[in-house]
Amino acid sequence: MNALRAEARLLLRSGRNLLALVLLLVLSCAAVWVGIAKIENQRATIERVEREQARDLASVEDANAGPEGDAGYNAYYAFMLTQDPPPALAFAAIGQRDLQPFVLRVRALGLQGQLYDSETYNPELALPGVFDWAFVLIYLLPLVVIALGHDLVTGERETGRLRLLLSLAGEGLWLRRIALRYGAVMAAVGLPLVVGGIIMAAPAAGVAVMLAGAALYCAFWFGLAMLVGGTMRSSTTAAAGMIGCWIVLTLVLPALANAAIARQVPVAKGIDLTLAQRENVHRGWDIPKEETFERFFADHPEWQGKQEFEGRFHWKWYYAMHQAGDASVAGDVAEYRASLARREELTRVLGFVLPGVGTMNLVHRMADTDIAGQLAYQDSIADYHTDLRTFYYPYLFEDKYFTRADFAAIPRYSPRAGTGSVALGPLLALALAALLVVAAGALRMRRISGHSR
Amino acid sequence: MMTEPHIQPAVEIAQLHHRYGADPVLRGLDLILQPGEIYALMGGNGAGKSTTLAALLGFISPESGTVQVCGIDPVADPRAARAQMAYVPENVSLYEHLTARENISYFLALSDSRRGSDAIEAALTDVGLASSAWDKRLSGFSKGMRQKVAIALALARDVPVLLLDEPTSGLDPRAVLEFNRLLDSARKRRVAVLMVTHDLVSAVDIADRIGFLIAGRIEEEREAQASGSRFDLNALHDRYTHAERAA
Repeated sequence: MNALRAEARLLLRSGRNLLALVLLLVLSCAAVWVGIAKIENQRATIERVEREQARDLASVEDANAGPEGDAGYNAYYAFMLTQDPPPALAFAAIGQRDLQPFVLRVRALGLQGQLYDSETYNPELALPGVFDWAFVLIYLLPLVVIALGHDLVTGERETGRLRLLLSLAGEGLWLRRIALRYGAVMAAVGLPLVVGGIIMAAPAAGVAVMLAGAALYCAFWFGLAMLVGGTMRSSTTAAAGMIGCWIVLTLVLPALANAAIARQVPVAKGIDLTLAQRENVHRGWDIPKEETFERFFADHPEWQGKQEFEGRFHWKWYYAMHQAGDASVAGDVAEYRASLARREELTRVLGFVLPGVGTMNLVHRMADTDIAGQLAYQDSIADYHTDLRTFYYPYLFEDKYFTRADFAAIPRYSPRAGTGSVALGPLLALALAALLVVAAGALRMRRISGHSR
Repeated sequence: MMTEPHIQPAVEIAQLHHRYGADPVLRGLDLILQPGEIYALMGGNGAGKSTTLAALLGFISPESGTVQVCGIDPVADPRAARAQMAYVPENVSLYEHLTARENISYFLALSDSRRGSDAIEAALTDVGLASSAWDKRLSGFSKGMRQKVAIALALARDVPVLLLDEPTSGLDPRAVLEFNRLLDSARKRRVAVLMVTHDLVSAVDIADRIGFLIAGRIEEEREAQASGSRFDLNALHDRYTHAERAA
């Protein structure tokens, strides 16, 4: 019998090994299924909102359309839909899509008062994160590697087989054993991803990058199993050592580092920007109109000289008030975004030393479901909001009527292009970490092969 | 024992010294084992018996002296040397979740042996394991049956040298007799057997020579008589007791 086949039989005939592998396969399948269901649910939500949106717009059109339609009225009541359809790979790494809005209806009013207007979620439920393929990969795969690899050497020593195994003439025993376990673990975690990718018509290159990340992360943990398992004298100590590594590397250090990052880079809540903007807008009612227009003209000098109106109210004053409200918090917004970007950058750096964080960064960047993806959606909303405002301003400042034909010309939001990309830095850092640990583990195993009492 | 000087010894150890840290274990061990000879190496705990086996298997690099198995230095070429030997550790526990046949097949695969199922069945037959047990998992086997499977593995490899570490430990008298019959059959096939043992009675029954390892060297060796009782058991017992005390 071929040695590899013999080794495969030995692996699969062990109840513990088989259970661990089947469990990983089932959990990976379940995670992919949950991810697909979640993404399908988000797509269905977007479609449902699109239908409602069309009905809502039609009712605004019916109420306001006519030869003397009012653009201000229309801009106030016509909510325009923006949506961020789930990227094809989001099923594997849901990331921020579980917490951040993927549908937002905006008006020509101040943007900052609308941008963070999303559903509230239970922070305790959000804390453990979503159960997706990335979760299985980062948190559960190492446990299966520990189950399969912690007693590779110690188990043989404890049962008195180690000397017998080493006394046999053949070579490559540990390499075969580890490679086989590695292949089995990768199959259990990788096959569901590939099937999920096919179902969701995900780009093959993206799936390949995720698999590459998984392969490196898995190699890191097998390297650690070789290193720890080859150093400890008993299986219990080796298992305890490996579990300790898992707790420290995937739970304790990331949590401590996140706390440190949060302390180092405080980020205001989006709702604080909303409140600040609203306060500034409302202050506009109490200050002279000239002051409001003066602020507005700083960004829109093209409408200077067209601010005069009769009576106590005009929509152009109202929208200028909102625009001035946005301008008043522009500094805070920039600071907020810079803080988010800084946190993202620090998390990226953290990924260079913590393989779990690095893998997380890699798969979420590839799936376009990280903070960067969320900010890209916000940027696209801001761009669209600018288009919307500049569409209405001529009607408001030139006192033009808003007809049905104008209604059809209201700009529509085009979903942003996906920004998912290969995070080369984390990928290389992960490769380096895996290489170092596997090399150290291999040296340890080689020593066992050469000299064992 | 008839010596055949023109034939290369199966095992040849000369002036072997080895220490673990500051503690010397082997201090000038000399041992020659001819093909077809059964040698029982006896000694107290810490006398160096296991270290001698480790040196033969190439697990340790001796401080000085030479070791050769069928003319091959196990330190210089452990793979080639190990291909000449089958080693049965004391109380070996094979894989519980594999059957007797699968266990042997697995270990043969690891040793790059091309011997097939015929050799496995022949070995299992030789060790006297009932054919009804061949395809049963080892988890249901008695200690004696497990030992038989381990020895069957050694036989199935069909190598010129057998190294046995306490092979009769835990076996009942009947199983010991069967085991000795096996060794006798191996001797007839010109297989050299080095057994490290505490079982004086079994050694007297089957060994051609018995050596007493005391403080890292063979202090005394007795050869089996061609006629009459093979060894003087009482004298050996006294010697063995002395060796144990020395340890």
